[in-house]
Amino acid sequence: MMIFGSFDRHTKQSLRIFSILGAVLFYSAGVDAADRTIDFVTDVEPILHEHCYRCHGEVQDKGGLRLSRRAAAFGVADSEEPIILAGKPDQSLLIVRIIDSDAGDLMPSDGDPLSKEDVETLKLWIQQGANWPDSAAVAKHWAYQPITRPIVPKIKNHNWPLNPVDHFIARKHEQQGITPALQAEKTRWIRRVSLALTGLPPTLEQLDSFLNDSSDSAHEKVVDRLLASKRFGEKWATGWLDLARYADSNGFQADQIRDSWAYRDWVINALNDNMPFDQFVVEQLAGDLIPNATFQQKVATGFHRTVTCNVEAGVHPEENRTNQIIDRVNTTGVVFLGTSLVCAQCHDHKYDPFDMEDYYQLFAYFNNTPLEVKKTGGVTWDFYGPKMDLPLSSEIQKQREDLGLQIVDLEKTQTELISQVKKSYPQWLKQIAVVDSQNQWRTLSIQKFSSTGEEESEILDDGSVLVTGTIPDRTAYEILANSDLPQITAIKLEGLTHEKLPGSGPGRGDEDRANFILSEFSLQVQQDQQLDSVPFSNATADFSQVNWDVSGAFDGDPKTGWAIAPEFHKSHWAIFSLASPLKLNNSSQLKLRLEQNYGQGRTIGRVRLSAYSGDLSMLNTPGDLTELARKEKRSQKEEQKLLTYFQDQNVELVKLKKQIKTVQAQLKKTDPPTTLVMVEMDKPRETHILSRGDYLSPREKVTTGVPKLFGAGDDYYPPNRLGLAQWIVSDHNPLLPRVTVNRWWAELFGRGIVTTMEDLGSQGEPPTHPELLDWLASELKSNGWSMKHVLKTIVLSQTYRQSSQFTAESNKDPENKWCSRGPRFRLAAEFIRDNALAISGLLSDKMAGPPVMPFQPDGIWRSIGRNQPKWITANDEDRFRRGVFTVWKRDAPYPSFVSFDAPDRTACVVNRSKTNTPLQALTLLNDPAYSEMALGLAMRMLNEPKRHTDRDRIIYGFRLCTSREPKTEEIDILLDLLQQERETIKKNPDLVKERAGLKLPGFPHKTDNSQELAAWFAISNTLLNLDETVTQ
Amino acid sequence: MHNVNPLDARELTRRYFLQKSGVGLGACALSTLFQQDSQARGNQSPLAVKSPHFPARAKSVIYIHLVGAPSHLDLFDYKPELQKRSGQLCPDEFFVGKKLAFIREQPKLLGTPKDAQYEYQKCGESGLDISNLMPHLQTVADEMTVIKTITTDQFNHAPAQLHLLTGFGRFGRPSIGSWVTYGLGSENQNLPGFVVLITGNIVGAGSSAWGSGFVPSVYQGVEFRSQGDPVLFLSNPKGVPVESRKRIIDSVNQLNQVQFADISDPEIETRISQYEMAYRMQTSVPDLMDINGETKQIHEMYGTEPGKTSFANNCLLARRLVQRGVRFVQLFDSGWDMHNGVFKLLPKKCGEIDRPIAALIKDLKQQGMLDDTLVVWSSEFGRTPMAQGKNGLGKVSTAGRDHHKEGFALWMAGGGVKGGFSYGKTDELGYAPVENQVDVHDFNATILHLLGMNHERLSFKYQGRPYRLTDIFGNVIKDVIA
Repeated sequence: MMIFGSFDRHTKQSLRIFSILGAVLFYSAGVDAADRTIDFVTDVEPILHEHCYRCHGEVQDKGGLRLSRRAAAFGVADSEEPIILAGKPDQSLLIVRIIDSDAGDLMPSDGDPLSKEDVETLKLWIQQGANWPDSAAVAKHWAYQPITRPIVPKIKNHNWPLNPVDHFIARKHEQQGITPALQAEKTRWIRRVSLALTGLPPTLEQLDSFLNDSSDSAHEKVVDRLLASKRFGEKWATGWLDLARYADSNGFQADQIRDSWAYRDWVINALNDNMPFDQFVVEQLAGDLIPNATFQQKVATGFHRTVTCNVEAGVHPEENRTNQIIDRVNTTGVVFLGTSLVCAQCHDHKYDPFDMEDYYQLFAYFNNTPLEVKKTGGVTWDFYGPKMDLPLSSEIQKQREDLGLQIVDLEKTQTELISQVKKSYPQWLKQIAVVDSQNQWRTLSIQKFSSTGEEESEILDDGSVLVTGTIPDRTAYEILANSDLPQITAIKLEGLTHEKLPGSGPGRGDEDRANFILSEFSLQVQQDQQLDSVPFSNATADFSQVNWDVSGAFDGDPKTGWAIAPEFHKSHWAIFSLASPLKLNNSSQLKLRLEQNYGQGRTIGRVRLSAYSGDLSMLNTPGDLTELARKEKRSQKEEQKLLTYFQDQNVELVKLKKQIKTVQAQLKKTDPPTTLVMVEMDKPRETHILSRGDYLSPREKVTTGVPKLFGAGDDYYPPNRLGLAQWIVSDHNPLLPRVTVNRWWAELFGRGIVTTMEDLGSQGEPPTHPELLDWLASELKSNGWSMKHVLKTIVLSQTYRQSSQFTAESNKDPENKWCSRGPRFRLAAEFIRDNALAISGLLSDKMAGPPVMPFQPDGIWRSIGRNQPKWITANDEDRFRRGVFTVWKRDAPYPSFVSFDAPDRTACVVNRSKTNTPLQALTLLNDPAYSEMALGLAMRMLNEPKRHTDRDRIIYGFRLCTSREPKTEEIDILLDLLQQERETIKKNPDLVKERAGLKLPGFPHKTDNSQELAAWFAISNTLLNLDETVTQ
Repeated sequence: MHNVNPLDARELTRRYFLQKSGVGLGACALSTLFQQDSQARGNQSPLAVKSPHFPARAKSVIYIHLVGAPSHLDLFDYKPELQKRSGQLCPDEFFVGKKLAFIREQPKLLGTPKDAQYEYQKCGESGLDISNLMPHLQTVADEMTVIKTITTDQFNHAPAQLHLLTGFGRFGRPSIGSWVTYGLGSENQNLPGFVVLITGNIVGAGSSAWGSGFVPSVYQGVEFRSQGDPVLFLSNPKGVPVESRKRIIDSVNQLNQVQFADISDPEIETRISQYEMAYRMQTSVPDLMDINGETKQIHEMYGTEPGKTSFANNCLLARRLVQRGVRFVQLFDSGWDMHNGVFKLLPKKCGEIDRPIAALIKDLKQQGMLDDTLVVWSSEFGRTPMAQGKNGLGKVSTAGRDHHKEGFALWMAGGGVKGGFSYGKTDELGYAPVENQVDVHDFNATILHLLGMNHERLSFKYQGRPYRLTDIFGNVIKDVIA
């Protein structure tokens, strides 16, 4: 109907005027109008906002009227009567319609009449000239209005509502002429609510206990149990981590892993503890600035340390830093203000009341943290922090102290020994100067060269072996050789260059980085029909790469070894001293093995081996050292080289050095893990407006400040991040509670009350249920910002209990925007996997700690750049942990998550897509991770003790997957499949072993009957692929 | 018709439902969403073919991105004056006040070596300049439009890749392939609309280079791999023969059908069709990837070897994909970042790609596909006319070039662009445009234009504003269109 529509003026006009006069007379007795000047902004607009705008405002314009706009309010109605006539309240429809029911339905039509005081205020304001200032010509957009707690509307269908949420929903149903859906079956509701609150399906025990509970509080008991479960935090952290763009790597080229997982655990714990949401916000934005900040409050600031960081060589650190702050401002806008500030980075916002100054004032809050990269080379910057050590157990702490003391002791001994040994240094120098050790080396004569990498090899005239052909990822050379020496005291291994090698070598894998990594070098001797290992005691090399010392090549640890970066394209040598001289006879054969495990073809392209028989103490001094010793004047570097070599000849010193290294390595292993935190610099940076966000184009200076639109009133907020955080959670910012409850609603219903969850501004969609949104927002605030309270209220509502079945009624609400039926939507990526793990009985409930690597196919991680991590599939329960703990590498996130719309977390994501693609089908059907889960489920069905028939087992598996009993029709489909599979397997017995083998090392379950397992695998593979299984 | 039209899965479900329930779109004035989309789309798939804004010149794109940025000065933008002055300190204005990625001291100019291997030829009837490093490409010069005056905002790899491929130098926006498939859909419903083929390492920007940003993820690029399953999880696990797989999919679909009969959620029907499509992909993708059936002449022309990972194989696969109606095929090849040894490395890398790219163009032409297939050669930026590093001169084997955003050459062929055409001119030393500068947004606007889309109308509303591939910039370069 037309609210301000026409009616029969001639018959009613006089009556109405009479009654108005009466009312004016009545009120003027109480208040002296002349004493009170009415102000539009402080007195009038709040009344209009509370009573009128919900139908005649920015969200809706019933009857074509927006009272929120001055031009419209001073216009005329369809009846051509003025809405507001300055000086004439009795001729203003605005007044008439709120006091005179003869003029049509008394306004507001959907709520209680205005109080006498409010009516009087409006009238006085009109009487005094209806001054509506220019600054308020258009009312503030709905989302920027203060939150007032709406009155729970009255509805006709009294039996339907269970709590106030339902009143708001039912009110719209009645307006839209919608009959709500029936209640969902209990099985569907418990499944829906379990997946919604914990991301996991109910167990059969939980299911049965609920089905058998006929008490009034049955639903509430379930919800309380779910909210108290640790699984709650794991579920709800996921959406928050999308907002926080949390990942485990830097992003960009050189997408290295960095540790920030303590922050992820903080989020999970805070959610589980039901931390008041305002505190949750403040600690993440500014936990470090809270007076006497606790350790955990500092961890919380990881929220804004999750931004990407570009350590690609040549990136200017200031540009990198500016981009990071821009990301922080934009993310803050979206997450806490539901507002896209991006526009204001370059120009004043076109649609929403934010200007560039607002933007850079926010920027100023974040502009005082240190650079997060450090220069490590010419134009190379590496990510470093700032980070904070995580606490260690007292046991490990003690261990660290002990190790530290040990090192001090050993170093003391070492210093003493060095000064003692050094006495004979001058003498030694003289000796080696005259030795021509080069001539004492004899090249080994190679009898046979073989290699596990299947390369081609050729023995050259100088006795070296040139390796060509295939470049294997890794290899081991096995060399049989003879020597005509009567005894051997050392072996020299040379990696030589050659024109046929890429970049002339000596490595084979890369033309530019012609490195090799000799992981392990070992020597055996075959004589008198006996094969003996010949241990080395010491090794020296002309050059060793940092962290790849030659000593690693004979320590038995295949992860360490000798490498030569960046000294490529040159020949290198290493000498390995034998622990004791090896006597040889005519028949002696030497077996040498060169393991090269690094990968990427970092193998030696040309190798030569020589033996030495002389006195070790005098050794075998390499020619270049002899040369040095002969020089009259040596540089400091040269002197050091000689001295190092000299010291390395002392067995005791070498032993000590090795010992120190071992203890240091042990100490390093107990280094505390770290997490990234915000740190404020003592001296704040100056902030300028940046032209187009370009760090090279600063304009005028600005200081910290909250957006002018809201103002901070008289409250004092410190000019730092803590102040910003305090303002964000204050009453001055009505956006935070609205944005927040809207996101929660969307998580539960699959769509927000405002569907543009990332933008509640004027360009966003208006809320479908504005009063409900405000009611929930005020419910959140008035209940100590308790998230669990709000969620509980929503999931216990009749609205949430509705069946999700599409009916004829759904035609009126195809999108379900009026909640005419229950929610039904596909699970998010992580929960599809979590759910399947739970169903298959494989799910680990281990929480917290470094991210884990479940199964993924080879070749997903292959980025360019330094220190690239390798994917090593976990072979223990880590393979079966919840998705929230899976490592998130930004340039190549976990592939099965990507198929199901998980973002790469390079930027804040408010609302993931929910697509339906064939790649998803392929993932659930064929991903080895899901095959393993299917195997788990098949075993569960077979091993369940109380189930003996095929039918019973099918029912059991079906319930595990969908929480409901299958229909006969459904059982028959599966029985049929089972029978046909049994026949196929009978015809092709290999399938039994093959299907039983669809698991990785560390698979925890077993069954004796692999024949049956193979057939049941088809059933479980089917069940895990059902639409219902992946839908909540 | 594309602007302000967030066609996401939810809408699709809704549209589907509307059709199922017999409510015509016209009768359902839900919002402005449909008002600009009055032409009802018969197909439910988000990848269904959509009409362009105006008649298109190109139907599909093969977009070759050379990761790291090849030295355009030694390939397409011939600079005799630079050769002449090679070894002299660069003019002050090339260095002073400029930000360069690696160069920190005033560098010397570096000309293309005066050696037959690197010499330029006037090619084809058009006389386009192409280096001898690309002898095969020289033979298709008359198909190419070389734009010599591209400029970009970013001079580091990952941000520059994002800037070129998503129109913005930071993460979060849809890539060009996503925009195109979002705008036009795809002609083959059994394959993704946007396919990515990679040789070498992943590009610095990671999967964001072919990601969908804020448009629905169904438009993101799907990588077809040359090792293992071409599409992840395409092949059945061991122990699941085709007959079992078919039986399992049939059972899944029958059970889903039962559920659909009960719940009537159109999403279930969509899922049923996706399982059918997955099953078809299990045959269609291996068929597509199997190049054994190509003639010997084709293999010789491309230099392809079945079963090998190579750029050549990817070029042939690109043709096969486009042939099957895939809208956008993007090839990435890494290893072009030549800070050192550019003259040593360039011949090798050119050797890998010259023959296959030329073959691709010839092949497309022979098959009558070049007219509506746009082939693009791109890189995130170009390389400096100055040598990088102190040892950058004298020794040809060690000289290198730094990143260069002020002006570089990219080219296109087929799909409605002029053949044998050179557009724009840089100064005599090849530093910056002196005539017809083309920003990367102009380049992208032109690609969209050739596909029949107005780059200002292909938009997606997100965070309260319509976003475009070309941000708020971009002018179509009309001169390059045939």
